[in-house]
Amino acid sequence: MMTQTDTLAPAIAERSFDPISKVGDEQAFRQEIRDWLAAVLPADWRQQWQKVREADLKGVMNWWLNERRKVGLATPHWPKEWGGPGLPFSYQIIVYEEFARGDAPELETFTISLFHTPATLFEHGTQDQKDRYLGGITHGTDVWCQGFSEPGAGSDLASLRTSAVRDGDDYVVNGQKIWSSASMHADYCLLLARTDPNGKRKHDGISYFIMDMKSPGVTVRPIRQITGESEFAEVFMDDVRIPAKNLIGAEGNGWNIAQSTLSTERGLLIFSATERIARAFELDGIEAKNTWMRDVGLRREYAGFYAEMQAVRLMVKRLLAELEANPDKASATLPTFIKLNWGPLLQRYGEFLVRAEGIEAQKWEPAIPGTGHSSRMRFNDFLKSYGWTIAGGSNEIMRNIVSERILNLPRG
Amino acid sequence: MSDEFDLDALAESFLEFLEGEWPKEKAIAYERSGQAYDAGLWAATAGLGWPALTAPEANGGLGLGTAAAAYLHAALGAAAAPAPLLGTLLATTIFGAAGAEGGHELLAAIAEGSLRVAVAEPGSAAVETDGKTVSGTVRNLLDAPGAGLFLLRASHAGRPGWLAIDTDAAGVSVARRALADTTRSLGDVTLDNVAIGEGRLIRPADPAALDDLLTRRACVALAADSLGGGEAVLRITIDYMKVREQFGRLIGSFQALKHRVADHHAALVGARELVLNAAALPDDAPDALLAALSTEAHVTALTADIARDCIQLHGGVGFTAEFSPHLYLKRAKLNEAL
Ligand SMILES: Cc1cc2nc3c(=O)[nH]c(=O)nc-3n(C[C@H](O)[C@H](O)[C@H](O)COP(=O)(O)OP(=O)(O)OC[C@H]3O[C@@H](n4cnc5c(N)ncnc54)[C@H](O)[C@@H]3O)c2cc1C
Repeated sequence: MMTQTDTLAPAIAERSFDPISKVGDEQAFRQEIRDWLAAVLPADWRQQWQKVREADLKGVMNWWLNERRKVGLATPHWPKEWGGPGLPFSYQIIVYEEFARGDAPELETFTISLFHTPATLFEHGTQDQKDRYLGGITHGTDVWCQGFSEPGAGSDLASLRTSAVRDGDDYVVNGQKIWSSASMHADYCLLLARTDPNGKRKHDGISYFIMDMKSPGVTVRPIRQITGESEFAEVFMDDVRIPAKNLIGAEGNGWNIAQSTLSTERGLLIFSATERIARAFELDGIEAKNTWMRDVGLRREYAGFYAEMQAVRLMVKRLLAELEANPDKASATLPTFIKLNWGPLLQRYGEFLVRAEGIEAQKWEPAIPGTGHSSRMRFNDFLKSYGWTIAGGSNEIMRNIVSERILNLPRG
Repeated sequence: MSDEFDLDALAESFLEFLEGEWPKEKAIAYERSGQAYDAGLWAATAGLGWPALTAPEANGGLGLGTAAAAYLHAALGAAAAPAPLLGTLLATTIFGAAGAEGGHELLAAIAEGSLRVAVAEPGSAAVETDGKTVSGTVRNLLDAPGAGLFLLRASHAGRPGWLAIDTDAAGVSVARRALADTTRSLGDVTLDNVAIGEGRLIRPADPAALDDLLTRRACVALAADSLGGGEAVLRITIDYMKVREQFGRLIGSFQALKHRVADHHAALVGARELVLNAAALPDDAPDALLAALSTEAHVTALTADIARDCIQLHGGVGFTAEFSPHLYLKRAKLNEAL
């Protein structure tokens, strides 16, 4: 059984690394991250992690989070006041660029902890909530999950029915969440529940809570995915008591706050995703130079994907430039176009690789944690592309947004 | 002989039996079993005489041809059934080919279903043999892990032929390779100085013609399997679209979704014509091979894309192993790659 200290201990680093001290010199900062990654990350970490089973997943994820922490990069995009390094935005971009380039493991289990939780609490949390919960991420290994979707409320999230009823200093919560990524490992949940069933619109009367996953009445049942793994789960809440101080923002304002939570998917998160695939894409072509790249038809298809991939990367770069210039003035539509291009592209490219590699791509191997959408096991990556085409607003919902809200076509 | 059989009734019986014996729930549960094939299902199909379908009558078979096989494989595809009957079809073709020697004792066992066969792809690399022993490796042999007999392409004294090798013979080993499609299995076969039994080197009178016939039948069977799978996964998806509500409406009422299933359905109607046509051509028809090859290429790709979209049309539940669309996607992608 692998632990963070034995098999994963890298070659003894010859020196200590301090990228944060290089701020002011982008080249030096970049180089320091490269050198650090080269020193700290075992060259065969993918092979090692492939042996990691569900029960040990947290071990390797914590190991990598802690390695990042040692050089001040556990939460690279967080401001100083909440325990982050307070990097200028251009440096945050460099961090994620270098993580992609250097094939640093993706902290999948911590996605919500690192992105959605701060995006929510920075803007809407009380001082108390920030003090109490952000520290568990910057100094600890708290795993957060997002409890939005329900069996009856997916695309139509606003119709959610989990109820929260005020009772003294608590809310009593009953209901069911589904598809909650990493919830089986989670310490806390960003929970949407209905506090007022009589709102005028279904978006009214939804409130936003921090739920301790160890509370009595919380039951988590992992769901097996088509990839064979269980990265998400159902969460059942049976008379769960949530202290009223865990309400985020005002009662009934949950829908608006949820938009802040989800807006985090539109910046460095999508940048990291596209850069990682861009790196994998390059390797795909190089590694196939004696196989399918010799096939004129397949090579041409590959070249077509290159253009599409570049188009998305350029859109993302434009978005980042806008965010850097002024986050409040950044395009509101670009993120939608990016996602609508990206999800289907990733799926078609994944399908292409399965087809190009023939019978070899049909073989099944255990997934590798930390490799996100570029495990480079063809069938697995192809299947995982649904994470981009279904989750976080399906292709169809994205198309509705473009056609109805952006192009002002009449509603169907 | 074939004329006496009502193929439509036969097709109906295949479908009906599998609907009862291999319902969606079983197919979904089987995915985790790790088995190379389902022994219970296999025994049941053998009891019904399915392995005998294309075996010669003289060996206890029904002597039916490509068309009957197409219906069988369409039904297997529709159920995503883990019953390795493709090897049976190809084995009966090899042993039944004019000029084949010594296959008879094996044919009876194949026809009664007591012997499952993994057959190398026609046109794939041959193992060299001196006629007495054989050594070599055959990679990526479909259904090898569950087979009792291998039929491998061999080259003897410069002449192409087929070697029948018992999978439990001394010197034979199989390394199973896990597949995304868990309804079938794959293995790498290693032969280390394996003795060749009496009459186990089959030298067809016209090896090229046999290759063509095998290719044709394999293509028709795979296309039929994909056709059945495509029709089934689309039906399952349409059923779901008729019960799943979002935004206070059945999702099947959204044009963005129903137009897609309309396209898929229309394409499958065309695909069915292609498969029936390719399957019904006489073995010696000049366009039989072309029809089979083009049908296989088209229909396997079509169903793979339909199954891919069916997961999308399901939303989150389509991404779970607890629903069946992924079984069809994986099977369709393997058919496309074969
Ligand atoms: C990998 C993965 C991870 C996820 N992680 C999380 C998580 O951590 N937390 C969380 O809360 N949720 C999570 N989700 C849930 C995700 O947000 C939902 O699956 C998604 O919102 C779709 O909802 P649904 O599954 O109920 O599908 P449905 O809404 O039932 O959709 C079924 C089909 O109908 C289509 N459809 C629906 N409405 C319309 C319309 N108006 N017009 C046209 N087509 C329409 C959909 O696009 C889809 O094709 C995850 C999902 C996946 C796949």
